[in-house]
Amino acid sequence: MSDPDRGGFFIGWSNKLPDRLGLFLVQAAAVLVAGLAGAAFAIGVTQNDPGDGAFRFDLGRQTITGVLQAEPYPVLHVTESERYPAGHAIMLSGQGKRGVQDRAAPLDGQLVVASGVILTRGPLDMLQVRGGDQGLIAAEAAPDANAVPPGVPVPVPLGRWRLTGEICDGKCYAGAMRPGQGLSHRACANLCLTGGVPPVFVATDTVDGQAFFLIAGPDGGPVTDRILDHTAMLVEVEGQIERRGDLLVFRIDPATLEVL
Amino acid sequence: MAAGVVTVLQIYGMAGLAVAAVFLAWGIDRVDQNARGAFVFRPLLIPGVALLWPLVLWRWGALERGRDPWAGRYRPPRRLQDWLGIGLAAAIPVILFGALLIRQEGPLERPAELLEPPPAAEGEADR
Amino acid sequence: MSVLYTPVQWNRNKFLYDGVLLAGVVAYILVFLQVAPLFVDATRPVDGAILRMRAFGTCAFLMLTLILCIGPLARLDRRFLPLLYNRRHFGVLTCVVAATHALQVLGWYYAFSPTPRLEALLSANTSFGQVLGFPFEVFGIFALLVLTLMAVTSHDFWLSFLTAPVWKALHLLVYPAYAAVVAHMALGYLQDAKNPAFALLAGGGALTVAGLHLAARRRDRAARGAADWVTVGRPAEIADGRARIVSLGGDERVAVFRYDGRLSAVSNACAHQNGPLGEGRIVDGCITCPWHGFQYRPADGCSPAPFTERIPTYRLKLDGDTVLVHRTANPPGTPVEPLAIP
Repeated sequence: MSDPDRGGFFIGWSNKLPDRLGLFLVQAAAVLVAGLAGAAFAIGVTQNDPGDGAFRFDLGRQTITGVLQAEPYPVLHVTESERYPAGHAIMLSGQGKRGVQDRAAPLDGQLVVASGVILTRGPLDMLQVRGGDQGLIAAEAAPDANAVPPGVPVPVPLGRWRLTGEICDGKCYAGAMRPGQGLSHRACANLCLTGGVPPVFVATDTVDGQAFFLIAGPDGGPVTDRILDHTAMLVEVEGQIERRGDLLVFRIDPATLEVL
Repeated sequence: MAAGVVTVLQIYGMAGLAVAAVFLAWGIDRVDQNARGAFVFRPLLIPGVALLWPLVLWRWGALERGRDPWAGRYRPPRRLQDWLGIGLAAAIPVILFGALLIRQEGPLERPAELLEPPPAAEGEADR
Repeated sequence: MSVLYTPVQWNRNKFLYDGVLLAGVVAYILVFLQVAPLFVDATRPVDGAILRMRAFGTCAFLMLTLILCIGPLARLDRRFLPLLYNRRHFGVLTCVVAATHALQVLGWYYAFSPTPRLEALLSANTSFGQVLGFPFEVFGIFALLVLTLMAVTSHDFWLSFLTAPVWKALHLLVYPAYAAVVAHMALGYLQDAKNPAFALLAGGGALTVAGLHLAARRRDRAARGAADWVTVGRPAEIADGRARIVSLGGDERVAVFRYDGRLSAVSNACAHQNGPLGEGRIVDGCITCPWHGFQYRPADGCSPAPFTERIPTYRLKLDGDTVLVHRTANPPGTPVEPLAIP
């Protein structure tokens, strides 16, 4: 075969490329690069809005005084703070995917001073308690000996409800990750929950004006181990809802969990 | 359990590195004449040997014993490839459309339902 | 080709091939990470790490989709054969992109936890009993393992050492790996993405792979009966400088070439990667493989010096005007007198 074009037959190691093939390959290369860039743009601009949750490093370290409630998951009921009104409930977590159960348990029901960084998403507030001994300490006794020591808010029952929504870890959902929900994020959510981060129920409807609930077991205690198969997707679940301060606690009955 | 799996994988990888050291320093010259005197390409083979070391040992042994029937080298697994191609073509739509079917979208979001009102001590109705 | 091994046998075509590939990948990642966010109207931006996971993950998926299209495309239209020439580099680059995706995931979703990352990867989600919420990560792990296996065995040494059929069988794992990638994506990101753009692009790509594989299915001219001599056909049916491929049953095929008024039969499987020699041409008097251009003399199946590759040859005979081939192959490199066409 003396034909230099070889009838369009391509030989990789030969630098003589058949003419027609050369043009075709240039076109193929252009289509490949342009196609990839176009696909990147199409997928890139159509991602879900991850919401407005965020770490509020811009506010600096917050020091908040309040009554600590260790069960089902550590929550601080504010008594004194520059930013938050008294009675506001702030969930607590540790650094990374850790809870603060260890540090909170001995201080249950006491007046404490907590400090750390705030995460906020809508009405949901979480304090990432700083590490070390200073993150969570018992407040000094009130100077006025006659003052009634503040206590944990008395729970107000709101009845038994059936809700549709997603079980999230309260920290990622509050803004530690954007997005901090959905199935792609599921393993991370489970890691957070097993690490001790409070689980929250993000409902598709409101009860008493709120769509966020701190999740508890039927007895009001922690329930993490029994919800791990139902995180990060739409589920339906029944349970008692009660108000503690401005926080709604959803005492779910894990047996009624159902994937939609 | 997970920690055990990770440990086993680490041991497998360590053994693979040991096999790679012996094979690339010594064995490869015995079984492949094109490798004799060629050294620059050998580091490229380390990950492969470390990952596939049982297969490497098996082939090494076969070549050392001269058990390498030539005819086998010219029988590519074409029928396997054909079947895998058909299997893939069948599996893709099943996986894709199955996944689209179970997507949680549409009118799944039922309103909150009060199943049992709270004790009426407060005398106040919710909602 | 043979002679001493080097890390990569570079030539101009490989440089061009890799250059285009890199340009495509860089364009994809840059547009995804830098350009697209400028056009997004979100309350707050997606985390950088999550954006990178998505960019590298979708990029690797699209690359693997393209790779799997090359084979059937080249079969349907020979002009795509050059894309097959350096497909191994395409695969290695895909493995690197996929590994980057995995590292981003490990460094974000599986980081910051008291559980070590790899342990967390294996233990965080154990809902194996359900479809929705299934730990889709295992599909990704499997696919990345296969891509890694393929990338680390891409040097020609492995072809020679494992033999091309074993190497090929190992690399056929890319089929289950692709199915796994589709499942990984379908049970993960596809469930979350509200906009249909991703489903259309990814689903369209995967369905294209499926369609092309069905369209390009090879139908063999199978040998009839178990006789020693197998019918090839009339010499006039074979174009000059080309071959006819005859299946001898099983995975064995023979390529009968016509050149200079003669016929020679050799194994259809190239000694290098078992490429289909019968789909090649006679160039400069040598059978030339359509995949990587390996060459063999038709009369004895040997590569011209200094190369040392050899392929089996077969005996031919004429029965009237019908050519027959003996089903027993001669050892590689055995000279056989070419059959003169009357």
